Amino acid sequence: MSVQDLILGLHRFWAGQGCYLAQTYDLEVGAGTMTPDTFFRVLDRRDWRVGYVQPSRRPDDGRFGENPNRVQKHFQYQVIMKPSPAGIQDVYVQSLRSLGIVLEDHDLRFDEDNWESPTIGAWGVGWQVLLDGLEITQFTYFQQCGGIDLMPVPVEITYGLERLEMFLEQKDDIYDLDWSADVSYRDLRLREEKEFSEYNFNAASVAMLRQAFNACQKEAGRLAAKDLLLPAYDMCLKCSHNFNLLDSRGAISVTERVKMISQIRSLVNDIARRYTGGKDGA
Amino acid sequence: MEFLLELLTEELPASHIRSGRDQLEAGLRKELLEARIEVRSLTTLATPRRLVVAGDFAEGQEDREEVVAGPPLAIAKGPDGALTAAGKGFARSQGVDESRLEVVRTPKGEYLGFKRLAKGTPTAEILAAAVPRVLGALSFPKMMRWASSPFRFSRPIHGLLCVFGGAVVPTSFEGLTASDETVGHRIAAPGPIKAANLASYREALRTSFVVVDPAERKAIIAGQMEAALEPLKAKAYPDPELLDNLTLSVEYPLVILGSFPETYLRLPIEVLATAMREGQHLFSVVRDSQQLPYFLGVADTPGDAKGLIRRGNERVLRARLEDARFFWDQDRKLPLRDRAAGLKNVLFQEKLGTYDDKTQRLKKIVAYLSEKLGAADVKEAAVEAAALCKADLLTEMVKEFSGLQGRMGGLYAREEGLPEDIHLAIYEHYQPVGLEDASPSTTAGAILSIADKMDSIVGAIGVGLQVTGSSDPFGLRRNAHGVCKVALDRKLRFSFPLLLDRILAIYGDRLTLERAEVKSACLEFFAGRLRFILEKKGCRYDLVGAALGPGVDQIVDVQARVEALDALKSSPQFEPFILMAKRIHNILKGLPPAKINPDLFVEKEERELYSSLSIIGSNAQPMIARGDFARAQGIIFKLQPELNTFFDKVLVMAEDKRTRQNRLGLLQSIAKMLLSIADYSQIVVEGEKPAKPKGAR
Repeated sequence: MSVQDLILGLHRFWAGQGCYLAQTYDLEVGAGTMTPDTFFRVLDRRDWRVGYVQPSRRPDDGRFGENPNRVQKHFQYQVIMKPSPAGIQDVYVQSLRSLGIVLEDHDLRFDEDNWESPTIGAWGVGWQVLLDGLEITQFTYFQQCGGIDLMPVPVEITYGLERLEMFLEQKDDIYDLDWSADVSYRDLRLREEKEFSEYNFNAASVAMLRQAFNACQKEAGRLAAKDLLLPAYDMCLKCSHNFNLLDSRGAISVTERVKMISQIRSLVNDIARRYTGGKDGA
Repeated sequence: MEFLLELLTEELPASHIRSGRDQLEAGLRKELLEARIEVRSLTTLATPRRLVVAGDFAEGQEDREEVVAGPPLAIAKGPDGALTAAGKGFARSQGVDESRLEVVRTPKGEYLGFKRLAKGTPTAEILAAAVPRVLGALSFPKMMRWASSPFRFSRPIHGLLCVFGGAVVPTSFEGLTASDETVGHRIAAPGPIKAANLASYREALRTSFVVVDPAERKAIIAGQMEAALEPLKAKAYPDPELLDNLTLSVEYPLVILGSFPETYLRLPIEVLATAMREGQHLFSVVRDSQQLPYFLGVADTPGDAKGLIRRGNERVLRARLEDARFFWDQDRKLPLRDRAAGLKNVLFQEKLGTYDDKTQRLKKIVAYLSEKLGAADVKEAAVEAAALCKADLLTEMVKEFSGLQGRMGGLYAREEGLPEDIHLAIYEHYQPVGLEDASPSTTAGAILSIADKMDSIVGAIGVGLQVTGSSDPFGLRRNAHGVCKVALDRKLRFSFPLLLDRILAIYGDRLTLERAEVKSACLEFFAGRLRFILEKKGCRYDLVGAALGPGVDQIVDVQARVEALDALKSSPQFEPFILMAKRIHNILKGLPPAKINPDLFVEKEERELYSSLSIIGSNAQPMIARGDFARAQGIIFKLQPELNTFFDKVLVMAEDKRTRQNRLGLLQSIAKMLLSIADYSQIVVEGEKPAKPKGAR
């Protein structure tokens, strides 16, 4: 089974659970949670079910293509079910079986792990799911987002696609994975990892990133004040990515770090407040 | 009659299971006690998905006689003793025959009344009401909501099995209706199971691959581990905490023995053990304290016939060890001294500055402590260790495995060829992590350990991060326990208040609170921690109170005082002496200090007491100074006969003001000397009502 088959399998499975299959969001984000299909949709009271693939960019995890497990961009399969269905753990187990995993031959564990993202004022309670000791999924009952208590409570299921694929293909090196029958992960991604590692750690212009951070921050505030909340939120995502790049360039001092994270968070919290206080849904 | 309850949940954290079991047992016991239901036995069991209570209770409350009181006798009966209209009316309204009426005597007077038998309520009925209350009262450190309900619990709940005497208890909890059904193992046998009592429940679960008793699971794991290692003549590196947590994270344990390439054995044993333990929950395997290229894991499954679980875990571990090897090689390319420069960019605490700021403070504190402890010979090593001890926070290894902080720095220092007293001091400077952990093994290490913790405590309290109730975000309690433990274990004599002064001076104007305020808050905090530590060691609370009475100057003295009191408490002189001390204490309560003028003594007895006091005082003083309180106490006992005579023959509250003041002055100097050993007034002697003071948690 290739990465592509894995994605198709998850699409088919979650579509069968009533999920709308969203397309990948077109901005750099650190996690699938940050895209509007999760961030905004968990805030209001309406039911919501969605599944999508989202590349996750973590500049600091770049290893110049030399580490078999770590990359500065990986792919998540993100599922949101709101309200969380009563039998959601069993549904998740079914999703693994639907991929052809014979769970009777393996050790599946829900291992305590409570997720949080200070930048977007979000946290939840749940587990990392371990399959024979390999972390394949983050399973979270979302409690708060944008600083707002969520009701109904969504469940977020985030599969790490490369991890799961390494399990399925029984491979030790991420670059040996098959993306499709003809294209390998190496073909697709190695050059990108090398060049972006160089960019993230050495080449990115600190001055440009700082300017961009400040400009996006200002713009987010201006747009939020006009109740243009989705554009304002996009600006926050850009802030967040610029912050991550500055961080991997080693350009952020201690006090700055705390300040910048809280700047983004307060913008995001403001957007969330306006979103829930204003119109019912977007 | 047998009771069985199972709350079926999603996977609970191990710590929640432990606390949930305790709360369930205590809650149910309390309900049954209040309902007067006899509890013959009550136990709890648990798996990650089940909180279980089983017990043997009486079938119902005992029937009991109750008294129904009616109108006052004076109204209910006439002077001739016959029932009045009111009396007859009472009998009629209660439906009792007049012949059953009798006089009921109460503190308020006599009434007409009668006795009747009240039928006891059946236990099932009581349980039906009690179970939702007990379950609803369970609380956990971190609670969550799910679906569309405001209800909060550790994790979502799915089923309630609740039977008494073979029948379902008619109850419900948060939308779950009690039944006699549950389910088996999530993967191996997820189907339904029926159970009417503990024996059939355990049996049915076992065939559905669930061992519901944690003690049994633990024994299974231990047995399988032993069997797996027998051919290798090896042992699992003991890790009781990991074993406990694994026991609570599986329903049907299977021990897996796996291996890793020998090339990773060149990594330090600490790194190997941590890479295995963290995230993957594996035990390392040793033979004659040599690490072997094997690991033990615990899976939750009936079997691994195809070896897929073993191979999967091996693959994951290999990737982690490869990372660790990379970190180990990378980190050693930059000496700690150069790395430490980067601490300017790592925040210790917003108001307290960076780790570089902390490092500079630590160098000064260890220099001070080395001198005060008369350990000038280790001063240089301690200062050097302080300069380097936080550098490992910037290593890749510690960024990945934060639990290795300190130890990694020590290992890298050793690799760099730094002397043993420096690398050991760095290695051990976070120790002891709890009261069970070992203190640093060297003097330099002990000094650095105390300095590090005291810097954190004084700083946190100085910017208002006080410990309140269950909230202790900065780990101040743990740090304070560490400081006390090092001082006590290594018998370090240094003035604690002077150390506080020194640290406060080093912090300068960084702290937001007044120095005097911070100092007294620290002293009070440590008095509370010492009380906790000593009571935990089994010392009597009143003796601890007495030992803390003179204040915390030398930490070691507080324990020495308690030990002295404890050793002497059964001597025949003890109790009379305590009573005497209390008598003096009571006389002097609230009085201003008075001066002694030996010329003003009138009676022989007071003059003699005064001269004995000077002799005994000057004998006891050096013993007190070196912390030998038992001997000092022994000497002071000798004052007892003269004190007795004094109180027999001399009137303290003499009419003449000057004589009276002089006598009070004499008692005050005795009281002062006593207080240099202990505050005896806090000691409870037989016949007194023990008033338990507010205990520190």
